[in-house]
Amino acid sequence: MEVQREIVLPTTREDAWEALTEPGRLEQWFATEVELDLREGGAAVFRWGDGDSRHAEVVTVEDEERLVLRFDDGVVDLRLADDADGTRVLVRETSPGWSTALELSALALCAAA
Amino acid sequence: MRGGVDRVFDALADPTRRFVLEVLAGRESASQSELAAQVPVTRQAVAKHLSTLAAAGLVRSERRGRETRYALEGTPLEEAAAWLDRVGAEWDGRLAALARHVEERASAETYT
Repeated sequence: MEVQREIVLPTTREDAWEALTEPGRLEQWFATEVELDLREGGAAVFRWGDGDSRHAEVVTVEDEERLVLRFDDGVVDLRLADDADGTRVLVRETSPGWSTALELSALALCAAA
Repeated sequence: MRGGVDRVFDALADPTRRFVLEVLAGRESASQSELAAQVPVTRQAVAKHLSTLAAAGLVRSERRGRETRYALEGTPLEEAAAWLDRVGAEWDGRLAALARHVEERASAETYT
């Protein structure tokens, strides 16, 4: 079971990668306080002003290409790609307890129910 | 949202079970023999699929006189849909914030 979203950022791959991986940049748009040990197996901690925090482990780091973080309640997979208008960021969040066998028909049923 | 939801998606992985759910979605309730008439498998197989669906909380059964009626239970699927909605909305918000951050930085650089 996964959610996918994407956005095109009007900037370079290098800048987009920094915005996604440098704690000082992440603190400007993602969380209030960020610790990120950017290597496979490294730890990440995100804290928000309301006292909420999330811990993650870095699963994959491919410079300016891909960052995968495993949280206790899901896996976040971020990919970068070149785009005519800048850099495309594709995010997929997968919930581990949920089989990927889910098909849309199931959700259509839900809507019908 | 683990565990129970896992069972839901395992139950949904089978096409015959999805078909049973579709049939049930189209009516208030059905008996095993009514389902067997519509689903191209044996009555025994329908019974087995119904018990898997019931264990996942997707179908509820109710005795009415001498027969058991089966009906769709929407809640587990609603939970799944709610997860998709919530996580999707979270990412919409985060990616919008990311875009603002990148744009603000770019314009700050232009003016300094």
